[in-house]
Amino acid sequence: MTEHLASFPVLSCMLLAPPLGLFVLLFLKEEQQFLIRVVSLVAAGISFALSIYTFAAYDQKLGGLQFVEKYEWVKTFGITYFVGVEGMNAPLLLLTGIVIFTGVLTMWELQDRVKEYFIFQLALVTGVFGVFMSYDMFFFFLFYEIAVVPMYILILIWGSTRKIYAAMKLTLYLMAGSGLIIPGILLLYASSGIFTFDMVRLHAVQFAPWVQKLTFVMMYLGFGVLAGVWPFHTWSPVGHVAAPTAVSMLHAGVLMKLGSFAILRVAMYLCPQGFQYWAQLMGLLAATGIVYGVFVGLAQTDLKYVIGYSSVSHMGIVGLGLATGTVDGLNGAVFQMFAHGVMTALFFSAVGFIYDRTHTRDIHELGGFSKIMPVASAFFITAALCGAGVPGMASFWAELLVLVAAVKVFTVRGLFAIAALVIGALFALRVVQNTFFNEPNPKFIHYEDVSPFLGLPRMILIGFMIFFGIFPQVMVGLIKTSIIPFIQGL
Amino acid sequence: MNMMLFGPELYFLGMALVLFFLSLQRRVRVEQTYYVALWLSVGGVVLAGWCLFQEGELFFKAYKVDLFSQIFKAALAVGLFLVLMISRNLAHVEERCHPEFYLFLTTCTLGMMMLVSSVELLTIYVSLELSSYSLYILVPLRRGDDIDTEAGIKYLFIGAVSSGFMLFGLSYIFGATHTTYLAEIMPKMGQLIQNPIGVVGLLLALAGFFFKVSVFPFHFWAPDVYQGAANQVTTFIATASKAAAVAMLLRFAALGASFGYSFAEALVVLSIASMTLGNLVAIIQKDFKRMLAYSSIAHAGYILMGVLTMKEAGYISAIYYALAYLFMNFSVFLVIHEVASDGRDLKIPELAGLWYRSPLLTMTLILGIFALAGVPPSIGFTGKLLLFTSAMSSGYFWLVLIGAVNGTISLYFYLRVVYHAYFLEPGPRPKIHLSWPSRLLNYGVCGIIIGFGVFPDRIVELAKVAARLVL
Repeated sequence: MTEHLASFPVLSCMLLAPPLGLFVLLFLKEEQQFLIRVVSLVAAGISFALSIYTFAAYDQKLGGLQFVEKYEWVKTFGITYFVGVEGMNAPLLLLTGIVIFTGVLTMWELQDRVKEYFIFQLALVTGVFGVFMSYDMFFFFLFYEIAVVPMYILILIWGSTRKIYAAMKLTLYLMAGSGLIIPGILLLYASSGIFTFDMVRLHAVQFAPWVQKLTFVMMYLGFGVLAGVWPFHTWSPVGHVAAPTAVSMLHAGVLMKLGSFAILRVAMYLCPQGFQYWAQLMGLLAATGIVYGVFVGLAQTDLKYVIGYSSVSHMGIVGLGLATGTVDGLNGAVFQMFAHGVMTALFFSAVGFIYDRTHTRDIHELGGFSKIMPVASAFFITAALCGAGVPGMASFWAELLVLVAAVKVFTVRGLFAIAALVIGALFALRVVQNTFFNEPNPKFIHYEDVSPFLGLPRMILIGFMIFFGIFPQVMVGLIKTSIIPFIQGL
Repeated sequence: MNMMLFGPELYFLGMALVLFFLSLQRRVRVEQTYYVALWLSVGGVVLAGWCLFQEGELFFKAYKVDLFSQIFKAALAVGLFLVLMISRNLAHVEERCHPEFYLFLTTCTLGMMMLVSSVELLTIYVSLELSSYSLYILVPLRRGDDIDTEAGIKYLFIGAVSSGFMLFGLSYIFGATHTTYLAEIMPKMGQLIQNPIGVVGLLLALAGFFFKVSVFPFHFWAPDVYQGAANQVTTFIATASKAAAVAMLLRFAALGASFGYSFAEALVVLSIASMTLGNLVAIIQKDFKRMLAYSSIAHAGYILMGVLTMKEAGYISAIYYALAYLFMNFSVFLVIHEVASDGRDLKIPELAGLWYRSPLLTMTLILGIFALAGVPPSIGFTGKLLLFTSAMSSGYFWLVLIGAVNGTISLYFYLRVVYHAYFLEPGPRPKIHLSWPSRLLNYGVCGIIIGFGVFPDRIVELAKVAARLVL
């Protein structure tokens, strides 16, 4: 892979803006709530702006790794600070920027322990940015854990619905995944013979087949826990339901992508033979996840559970795309990570607003909610349409790419997945109807609709969703620049 | 003889003398004694730092001053200073015993400083006992319920037994090699490779250090002593004393470097047993210090992972981890000391509402706990990852896998602490006001935990030079 050094440390700035904001927050008083929010918003905004910049400024003709920064960190153990951008992580950095920025705006009304909330949220997002840009496995894993652990506290304190249980379950599941990842990473490190954590250099090493098979399956399962791969997904609906709005957004929107991105970036990239060996299993689990997520989601009456299970099925699409190992499949998988991220963020953001007012997420209790809060409902309905894969939305193209590739490679599984998604789409419309277009519940009549300021984050999300729905080529073209060399390396 | 070579030891000997004379006073001036001890320990830190790059041999080559020993001497001096920082309020020690308390802490530090420099079997033994005897006295110094006496007796008995084991092992080694100098034993150990006497002798000789680091099966004292001793003494045992013992463990285990399979295998078993037992039993503990005792048993298992590789990378990571452990454990004890300022044993539920009572302490506690659990960005994470890396590089795949699984298990009880401190409501408990030195200490410890976790290179490079000197 060609590496183009950065003239200005854009990525480091993107990475360091949140912790810098965090540091400033430490010296603010709990009472200065407005200042706390502004500082968090500025920190998130800087990262957001820089993520747009890298997305737009990435030179597609040049290709390869751009904005590279590389410093030796611990020479004795072969650790380097190595960050860069290529076609497959640029969309995800952008996604993280979008979700954190809108997430801070969504939590604008938070009253309880505001300072601590934003401290942990900024810590978490630092980890997410770090994972997406790191090309050194030490830092990759370091940021991965930073992204996972603050979740515990965020859910525990600002969450709802069985939060104590959910927080512990989520953390233990994800850390159990880490327990598989560490030996996997270190096995590659030790058996490479060059004792480096640098992924690009490790990629050049031909690992023995058994090492690849063993490492791949450990990393697939370990990262798969976070990616919500069936049957290791059970933490995710529970966790999403319990988490506060912005954390659900970050978590379903971005964190789960860490898992699937890591499978692509670390496991598949470094162990191509291992991937070939386990591809069938990946395809099977992914297809099962799609079908399972759709049908279990149908039975839910809590809106957040509906979204939680739809995430399982949508992440199944990502997994299916990865398992095909074809250009279209991987393109679609990365696109789907982005599209699903924006979509779920919108989902949770919309539900969060409704829940903050009504304190219920029960479909039947909400009844004809669109008559009470037309704008808030519209946000949810847009997300639902996107989730159903309506053309004109970003996820339509992503799902299309994946499913076409899947039918070619795994015909039966692909067809099952398509059937499940179609049924899922029908039922999603029914959920929308039951929640928003029945008789309105008189209890909620007096509630105000979303103000323009609070609507802003949702508008941003919808904007991105539709923009990439209308111009999918912008995204696909960019992703392709890295997927084609990637496939050749497999 | 260059006095500076023996500088830190002489200084602490002098400090012990000063404290001894203070203890002879008819009326104890509590404040004055404390400040004398504290400022003397500050001087000790400065001097130990000053002597960091001294090199030489003393006392007929029984005593070696090199970077390896000097790093640990500096760590010990810092450890003593940190413990004295939280000793201003010795609630559970009788006032007339205060000078003795400082005196024995100093002699213990002195003993351990000599220990890390000793390269001759008898010198090692004498230094080890000097530090142990001081602790035997310190542990039951706590006034109050009977648990202190029980802890003291347990510590003495298990300590004596492991010393016995150690002497027995040393006699084997001496018998087989006809020398007491490590430098002369080292080349002869290769010949003992087929001979069980070598393996048994070395393992038994290590018993004394296993006791100090609380490796299974010499861990039984830890929970009771941690709980029974005064909080400050426990802090000292859990931080400085551990670091010194790891240093000696490294020096001694290096004898087995050429030993190969059977010796390393024995250590693998001990490592796995220690971390699994420690982590599993810690889950059900309600007393905070008891939980930390089991966590220390688990950490002893982690450190063994680095020791048993007998390679440079393993030694570097073990040294790094020993130093890291000193700070992260101290940060947790600092919180215990501030919350239980009357010197009582702290139950974990008593941490409830700490986020409201003192946000700064909560930050320190969370960072310390996360570091112990191996969560980034902290010295604990980096240290653990380096340990795993070195063990994996030496081919111990299963050991690393078990270690990683253990890390997950341990997270459960560490998160329970976070849960209590950060989630539960404070109830009627008042806010905690920290004095400014205590605040500075909090910031300092937090800074070290994060700073050296993200930028480990300096320490690793130092540890690398040190590791080469022992292997």
